[in-house]
Amino acid sequence: MTIKVDPITRSVVQHRLSGIVAEMGEAMLRTSYSQILNSSRDFSLAICDVQGRLIAQADHIPVHVGALPWATRAVEKHCRDVNPGDVYLMNDPEFGGSHLPDVTAFVPIFDGDRRLFWSIVRAHQSDIGGATHGAYNPQATEIWQEGLRIPPIKLYDAGKLRDDILDMLALNVRNPYDFRGDMAAMIGAAHLGERRMAKLFGEFGAPVVETAIEQILDSAEQQARGVVASWKDGVYHGEAFLDDDGRGRTDIRIAAKVTKRGSDIEIDLSDSDPQTTSFVNSSHANMHAAVVMAFAYLIDADIPKNAGALRPLQVIARQGTIVWADAGLPVTLCTSHPSNEIVEAIIKAMANCCPERVMGGWGRRFRVAVKGENPNTGRSFIWHLFQARPGGGASIGGDGWSSIGEWHTVGGLKFGSLEVAETRFPLHFRHHEYRADSGGDGEHRGGLGVSLDLVFEMREPALANTAGEGVRHPSCGMVGGRDGKPHHYRLVSTDGRTRELKTKEVGIEIRPGDCLEVRSAGGGGWGPPEKRSQNARRRDIEQGLVSGNGPYGKGE
Amino acid sequence: MLTIGIDVGGTFTDLVALDASGRATFAKSPSTPQDQSIGVMTGLDELARRLGLSRNDMLKATRRLVHGTTVATNALLERKGAKVALLTTAGHRDIVEMREGLKGDRYDLRSPPPEPLVPRELRFTVHERMRADGEVMLPLDEASLQRAITAIGSAGATSVAICFLHAYRNPVHEIVAAERIAAALPGIDISRSSDVLPQIKEYERFSTTMVNAYVAPTVRLYLAGLERRLEEAGFGGSLFIILSHGGMAPVEEAARLAAGTTLSGPAGGVAGALRCARLLGKPDLVPFDMGGTSTDISLVTEGRASLSSEGVLAGQRIALRSLDIASIAAGGGSIASVDAGGSFKVGPESAGSIPGPACYGNGGTAATVTDANVALGYLDAANFMGGKRPLDREASLAAIDRLATRLGISRMETAAGIYRLINVKMADGIRLMTLRRGVDPRRHTLLSFGGAAGLHACEVARELDITRIVVPTMASVLSAWGMLTTDLRYERAATHFETGSRMTAAGVRDIFNGLERNATDRLRSWFDGPIGIERSAEMRYGEQIFEVDVALSDVDFSDPKLIETIEQRFHRRHQELYTYSSPGQEVVFVNARVAAVGSVASEMAPAAQIDVDRACHPSGRRQVHMGGWRDVPVYALERLEPGHTIVGPAVVEAETTTVLAGPGDVIRVNGLGWIEIELCAVPRSAAA
Repeated sequence: MTIKVDPITRSVVQHRLSGIVAEMGEAMLRTSYSQILNSSRDFSLAICDVQGRLIAQADHIPVHVGALPWATRAVEKHCRDVNPGDVYLMNDPEFGGSHLPDVTAFVPIFDGDRRLFWSIVRAHQSDIGGATHGAYNPQATEIWQEGLRIPPIKLYDAGKLRDDILDMLALNVRNPYDFRGDMAAMIGAAHLGERRMAKLFGEFGAPVVETAIEQILDSAEQQARGVVASWKDGVYHGEAFLDDDGRGRTDIRIAAKVTKRGSDIEIDLSDSDPQTTSFVNSSHANMHAAVVMAFAYLIDADIPKNAGALRPLQVIARQGTIVWADAGLPVTLCTSHPSNEIVEAIIKAMANCCPERVMGGWGRRFRVAVKGENPNTGRSFIWHLFQARPGGGASIGGDGWSSIGEWHTVGGLKFGSLEVAETRFPLHFRHHEYRADSGGDGEHRGGLGVSLDLVFEMREPALANTAGEGVRHPSCGMVGGRDGKPHHYRLVSTDGRTRELKTKEVGIEIRPGDCLEVRSAGGGGWGPPEKRSQNARRRDIEQGLVSGNGPYGKGE
Repeated sequence: MLTIGIDVGGTFTDLVALDASGRATFAKSPSTPQDQSIGVMTGLDELARRLGLSRNDMLKATRRLVHGTTVATNALLERKGAKVALLTTAGHRDIVEMREGLKGDRYDLRSPPPEPLVPRELRFTVHERMRADGEVMLPLDEASLQRAITAIGSAGATSVAICFLHAYRNPVHEIVAAERIAAALPGIDISRSSDVLPQIKEYERFSTTMVNAYVAPTVRLYLAGLERRLEEAGFGGSLFIILSHGGMAPVEEAARLAAGTTLSGPAGGVAGALRCARLLGKPDLVPFDMGGTSTDISLVTEGRASLSSEGVLAGQRIALRSLDIASIAAGGGSIASVDAGGSFKVGPESAGSIPGPACYGNGGTAATVTDANVALGYLDAANFMGGKRPLDREASLAAIDRLATRLGISRMETAAGIYRLINVKMADGIRLMTLRRGVDPRRHTLLSFGGAAGLHACEVARELDITRIVVPTMASVLSAWGMLTTDLRYERAATHFETGSRMTAAGVRDIFNGLERNATDRLRSWFDGPIGIERSAEMRYGEQIFEVDVALSDVDFSDPKLIETIEQRFHRRHQELYTYSSPGQEVVFVNARVAAVGSVASEMAPAAQIDVDRACHPSGRRQVHMGGWRDVPVYALERLEPGHTIVGPAVVEAETTTVLAGPGDVIRVNGLGWIEIELCAVPRSAAA
């Protein structure tokens, strides 16, 4: 049956689809319980079809998008007898998941007895069980230590909640109350998507909607191919390195070979180093997501992120490597690392293919979590470092953004108020300013990282854990631009004792009066430094962004 | 005695005069962006002419003049404000530029960061530091202050923003710095954060203070000039300025809190909507103000407009409480196009007023929403603006034909498609706006105003399952009209960051009493009538990072269980907004707020009930495209009377707006002479 859909109807359907996922996002924001969801917005919404093709999405976290089709295909493969009113859940990397904290809910969408689409909500849970609170466990050597593994399971059977299943899940996490609340929010948002899609079928008829969707995908493909075709054909190589696995293995290499021909692009990560025994491994779905993220950054920002736009892209990788670890290995850090390094290796390869599209490297994530006792309240506190954001990379458009984030957050993460942090925690932010000279030099300079001096004002020692990257390896310069400065984290005691912080440590003692000195990474430069304008150099010095003779010119 | 409301918009300056009997007279004159007061004076001439008075006599008889101005907004949008120096705590020079680490479109990695309003070399530091509890940690270092003042002077700054950490808790260092600067640099404009927004959260407070410093000199100069012109012209009454929070204040206060005038214009529209809600006896409205380049959407629920502290204008964070108005980039000038993937889209690009839609004949060739309305027969090209500014229908058709060729569909399918898509977009905007605030739009009435709204209101409402629409007769000057009923308002806030379990009723009482005294004293210096007090608090659960505004006006503060009551109010409000509350969780009290309100306006009589449906006669007919061409009756608004009832399809025309009702929709003229439309219950098949 061929159905003719006019371009107006197609546009209305396209608007409706983006309206539906936006509305699902609002519902999620309004109804979720835990802070990571209602404040940090670490969740994504999507409509996929039964082949796992991404039709429409509203993400707050770019690294979710490319992973959802894999999760959808796993649900398709493993769930038989799908009925209206069913709700499925999953999180496990062996079944298309990215890492365990990201739990995904699926609600099937029917037109009569034809099952056509899935309404999907993925959300990062504040806890998923396992050996440590919040899932980031540098000591894990296998996935079972990272949390509860959920293959595709049926949580609602034809509209009826399977209480026993939910009880079992809730019993396995540390904050069952939040977990149940967040589950209810996710399922509510997914049902909203289902209802809105049903309304769309009512308005136009499902066959018209399906045809319009094919056209929407074709249109996104055409736009993406138009961009890719304008790049130079050839085979290109790029690489990026993880600092270490926390167990003594350093400089773990991610290699990208990009073959660009006509409007097609093939990205081959097979040459990447072997997997490790720690949580810096990537799962299969997350590897795809990172590649999609790099591709999305290279094409135009306004091309819809759907299956059509990704058609020019072929991804090749080898199991057993750092980008695609064997089943059973830990992977929790993967949505940040090696995602950042996968993106950077690809962008680096593309520098010779489409220099006008690539951007200097963005900073890496270096988490610090501190647990101690607050002398003002007598209660224990847990504090996570979000301040001292790294710099972003420069591009043909201009200098990089300063204090902005990593490849995988790109300005989507708010570090919040220092005044509020000083009110709630025994912390004194003595200094929190741009880190001069940290941005990579270039025709366009990389964005600056931040210099943070943070004094701890507890009465008793506290303990800190780290989970990060980017101390050995800086954000790379592109097209002749220079690298940014890498991270530098150290702890200085009042007696002058100094401890350099490693990227993956547990149980670091922080004594009263200690100062955490963070010098966060700057972004990579773009274009040869010789081409930087005199005016830009003068402004850098006037503003104290590069050390010189100005009144505020001293570096760090 | 007269009261006059003046709203200066981008294109027109609208004026409304209200006499003692409640009779309203309207006038419009072109705006004069280089000096808005010129357009205001011309408009006053026109208003006087319509009243049959000389301008001098009219102004002598005017007791109160209420003004909405876009001077601050334009200074910010066009980057034409003062040269500002920022003075801040050593070690924290970059707060205003870091924006808490946030950036807009996450997939756009090739756009450079915006230029900060105050560049880094104009951000100076002083050695001083307060602790979170207000205790001095590091005393103000006079030597570093002197160095900074010298640097500010030699940099040639004309305005300075003083922004120290924790100054909301202890302002003494900021006050000393302000005194030193005033003494050393006479004539420089000074804004300090502990005065502009004495609240915790440094980025919001600093940014707001910086914007204030940036626009204050411009606003002060403009208002002084306007006051002088008015005095010279015979005006002896009080001049009040509408602030972004919807209340009004005298000139001196508007200049002090200039960042609080950035929504002065649209605030009049919300004030007008509130007044409509009272007159209509319909407490739940969605005000829908569609203009040339953008559409402003706000919300009136239970007779009140909501306030928000989330404001951003021209990329600058302004955290003063202001009316909650969402602006979407869709209007009569929105351009229809085909993208690289062959997809049809409308907006967000706009033809603006120059060149404007193709039919304006100013060289515009792109097909816009207005061109589609002309092609569809919704707008009468010959009779636009009462025939004063006829439109070029052929130019509209040519622009649409070019697009139709690219799309491979007919001219009328293309025009109907533009009309449909813009309606879908505006409905999406309203749906998200209402959903975000926990409101179901279906039980609201769509209040249509602004030049372009009347043609789209019915279809936008249909998209949202809204069934009732109201178009007031003064739809095109609603903002100026609304200003006549606004109250005087002065707000004070104080941060009291504490968990519920550690707060005492006496402590909370003291905070509110202090704020109340302060606010009442200030308002009393402007006004001798009765003063009302509104109280509210911003609160949250322990781990959240955003606060919920909780109204406390009707809470008995002498109740010994005050803290429990306040916490209960918070849980209830949280439930309303986010569908759940967590009574077991720790509640944190962040800011206390008091508004002193001085009521000045007399109210018009509400709409008389009209029971009789009377038929009426069209003034003409014309061909209108609704799925196909139809011969549709056209009515002149000025000839319609209360009780007249029309069953659509129909077009109702007034000098500055046109209203379109679809088949089966019922138009009734209410007791105020306004148009009310009840949408046909049976859904029609898609028009396009």
